[in-house]
Amino acid sequence: MVNYLIRRIFQMAIVLFFSAAASYALLNLAPGGPLTFLTSVQRRLNQEDIARVRAYFELDLYLPFRFSRWLAGQPQGPIIVGGQTYLADFVVGCRRPIEVQVRSSSGKIETRTAGCQAGQNVTLKDLVGRRSSKGVIFGDFGNSWQITRDRPVSIVVLSRLPRTLELMVISISISILIGIPLGVYSAIRQYSSFDYVVTSLSFFGSSMPTFFFALLMILVFAITFKSFGWVYLPPGNAESIKDYVIPFIGAVEAGTLLDKFLHLIMPVTVLTLFNVAGWSRYIRGSMLEVLRQDYVRTARAKGLIERVVIAKHALRNALIPFITLVVFSIPAAFGGAIITETVFNWPGMGRLYFDALGRTDYPVAMALLLITAVLTVIATLLADVLYTVVDPRIRLS
Amino acid sequence: MRNHKHAMMALAFVTIASILLAACAPAAPVEVPVTVVVKETQQVNVEVPVVQTQIVEVQAPSYSKPHPILSDLKVRQAIAFCTNRAELIQSVYTWLPADQQANLFMDTNIPGVSWAHYTGPETTKYDFDAAKGMALLEEAGWSAGADAPAGTIRSNANGDRLSLKFTTTTAAFRKTWSAVFVSQMKACGLEILALYAPASWWFGSSTGLRHRDFELGAYAWVGETDPKGQTLYACNQIPTAENGWAGQNYMGWCNKTASDAINAANNSLVRADRVAQYKIFQIEFTKDMVSLPVFQRAEGNAATLDLINFRPSATEYFTWNADQWELADGRDTLVTGQSQEPASMYTVVESSASQRFPAQLVFGTSTTQVDYDFQASQANLATVESGAASNNDVEVKEGDPVVDSSGTPTDADGNLLTLTAGLKIKTADGQEVEYAGGAVTMKQLVVSYTWQDGLTWSDGEPVVQADFELAYKNDCDPTSGAVDYSLCQSIQSVEFNSDTEYTVTYKPGYQAALYFLPPIGYYPSHQVLSDGRKLNDVPTAEWASLKEIAETPLGAGPYILTNWEKGVKMEFVANPFYYKGEVKIKNITISFVQDTQQAVAQLLTGEVDVLDSSTLGAGDEVQTVLDNQDILQVHIVPSATWEHIDMNLNVP
Repeated sequence: MVNYLIRRIFQMAIVLFFSAAASYALLNLAPGGPLTFLTSVQRRLNQEDIARVRAYFELDLYLPFRFSRWLAGQPQGPIIVGGQTYLADFVVGCRRPIEVQVRSSSGKIETRTAGCQAGQNVTLKDLVGRRSSKGVIFGDFGNSWQITRDRPVSIVVLSRLPRTLELMVISISISILIGIPLGVYSAIRQYSSFDYVVTSLSFFGSSMPTFFFALLMILVFAITFKSFGWVYLPPGNAESIKDYVIPFIGAVEAGTLLDKFLHLIMPVTVLTLFNVAGWSRYIRGSMLEVLRQDYVRTARAKGLIERVVIAKHALRNALIPFITLVVFSIPAAFGGAIITETVFNWPGMGRLYFDALGRTDYPVAMALLLITAVLTVIATLLADVLYTVVDPRIRLS
Repeated sequence: MRNHKHAMMALAFVTIASILLAACAPAAPVEVPVTVVVKETQQVNVEVPVVQTQIVEVQAPSYSKPHPILSDLKVRQAIAFCTNRAELIQSVYTWLPADQQANLFMDTNIPGVSWAHYTGPETTKYDFDAAKGMALLEEAGWSAGADAPAGTIRSNANGDRLSLKFTTTTAAFRKTWSAVFVSQMKACGLEILALYAPASWWFGSSTGLRHRDFELGAYAWVGETDPKGQTLYACNQIPTAENGWAGQNYMGWCNKTASDAINAANNSLVRADRVAQYKIFQIEFTKDMVSLPVFQRAEGNAATLDLINFRPSATEYFTWNADQWELADGRDTLVTGQSQEPASMYTVVESSASQRFPAQLVFGTSTTQVDYDFQASQANLATVESGAASNNDVEVKEGDPVVDSSGTPTDADGNLLTLTAGLKIKTADGQEVEYAGGAVTMKQLVVSYTWQDGLTWSDGEPVVQADFELAYKNDCDPTSGAVDYSLCQSIQSVEFNSDTEYTVTYKPGYQAALYFLPPIGYYPSHQVLSDGRKLNDVPTAEWASLKEIAETPLGAGPYILTNWEKGVKMEFVANPFYYKGEVKIKNITISFVQDTQQAVAQLLTGEVDVLDSSTLGAGDEVQTVLDNQDILQVHIVPSATWEHIDMNLNVP
């Protein structure tokens, strides 16, 4: 087991490295970025202005060195061994690339770089004194480009994380509490009226677009109910900014537990409906499969009461594949729900990721991608370990 | 052994990855692996050095021949007369009351409320008159035949159909009014072939509009308090293959009177002279009808009925008069919704609208631009007319620092310009010349900017001369994080005269129309940071990452920013030391609400009290707030953005 874990952790490190490298390369090679934004709003830029902005965002360094500084905070300058300086003139980037405009075979005119202008190379010695993060492997995600310009990424991520965890943990917990019994009962009462109703609701929940359902809830339970003078729900945010009055409930003070609870109802309902729809179907299918097994028939033949057969013999086995679903909700819990958070203006990680991509804040986007990648590989490992706990037949070696 | 094998495999993986990543680095500039280099698309001042081993010139269209249909003034005027702009406005703003739809109507290139607008008797009016339009087409030789039914496409004596290509974007808004325009033209016997192109092509750097690839083309300009216009209408601003498609006079319109007038209007410093020149321009512009102004877009702003003195303007941020706001119901907290969150409160690195709203609360305003004009908030505008500025003749010789004829202080490489042979400059009499040597006389601006007495930081300390000096030192430092230093580079010297006044001597040749706006603000030089340092002693490069600058800056405006919860809200309290006296609303909170529908829902349920046009927009949500005027005040403002149809006078 120990060997297995060591091997898996080593594999995880490799997967994370490639995952981070691929994500970093994709984001940085994609069109756009801070320079495009700035040149579009500033029309009077000269070459020096552009070079300065490129250097500010480290875009003057070649991708591998940029990645290396983001990952491990290196290189920071020439290599110094025993007082001797090595590779001081080693080229790691270019302040002013040569740009040519070319017509591609499709007839489109594109601007491409073709080397570096004379005397404009960036060498290792030019990196001395430049600001740089310590590297993500040391817990430093660097500074934000846009969302909180020049302030640490960790500040904005940590400010959003509790909100997302609050929303996701509650909705996932409720989904499990509702989804499992529904699935089990549907399987036991297959083709009954109850099963048909649950199946229909499941299809409704799975097929209803989240954003539409969310908007519908806001329209009905916030705007319409309020206009009729009925008990209504706040349309969005995690808590109110000012106090308010709800008919029959009375004055609600902003920031209190009641205020937070009222704000949670709609986003949790949307997420729960979506999760329950899928998970109850999954459990139902898994239960039906198990109920047909010989050992269940044997248990019944032994004269065990049906409740014991279901709870002890069938459900425990039916839940094994469900572990995969549950553990993979861990990265989801941290990553947030982009659409639901955006529609309900929930200040969580999902909305932050959406913002980061929209505003080309790659350090923030990379931090979120990396956190998700780390949690995903951990979840995978956790699932494998949990299999051995719930199923004695599985041995890890 | 087995673990060792895995370790070796992992090492191999890492090595391969390193090689792959290293391969991403550009190769040495030995040769450009392309065969075609297109010498087109000269963008602004960014010179593109081209190094290549092989050049194949691409034959680009020169657009030198007159358009067979649109070069005829009668046809262009006929199009204008046949256009029922009220109907076009109605098609996209069905939710707007008729009287407010009329406010969107545009008759020249300058909005009606602007100080530079002119529609006197000398201008040509194009009120909808289809009969007049059809008569003009008849006169121009385009006939539908005596007994032809209405809507028959006209043709000329050669049998050519009166047919024009109409290009615009795929935006639903434009498609809607364009469809009405097409039917209006058909009613006059003019066939319009509508082409709805992707914005990436229509506004591409080397396609569509930039290369004048259209006959009739619809898009929008954004008007400003200073109307400018030189780059849009002057004769030397016609994009052609020969000039690398520089300029934005996409119509190819060259009317010497209009061109001289727009150049003069853009380069004079005296308001009266500018008004006179804009008048001449608008007379010519309407007469030649090369670009048909269609309408200004509508912007919606909404607030709770309790808010007093809420007065949004198309050319100013809605918080411009927050110090005059008041809540009728006596509440002491106001919540405004804002779709975009600012990146920083440090104005040097963040100047978006989302930052201007809170910045106006914290820093106040030195000059506002309400309703297309300038108002000094703290002292008089530093204009030539007020005596605060003088535009002197100075003699300059080779090697002296100057600004070139386009108003640029540096060359394309970013080096500061000095007077050298070949440099294009403007002489004191306004002529553009190429400097050949010797002494020349140029204009030099000297402006004294005076600030209001009594300016006080929100910690109670008065604003002093050292604060202005710190701002000049910091903002013009190349490590400040700013993108554009052209204003700093245009300054020859600054003399700080007192705690409320400084005098800027600009380099000879600097003649910017907005010279009266203060180029230097102030920072609290006395402020002690959390790490014990005084702001005055902190290196400029660090400023952008300082919490005291980026998140909770000290200001002299009506409010103090006390808390900024990222992604959620910014909280402000009244500044007790505000020089105009303490404000009536004690607390303002900006709530960040990204989605417009969510923002409207919060407005209707009372979670937020104010939504300005940048959050409310001009879509169906405006209809929603208009339907709730029993609980909301709604201000529909004609936007600075205006739609128009350009007519290309040339063909390749």
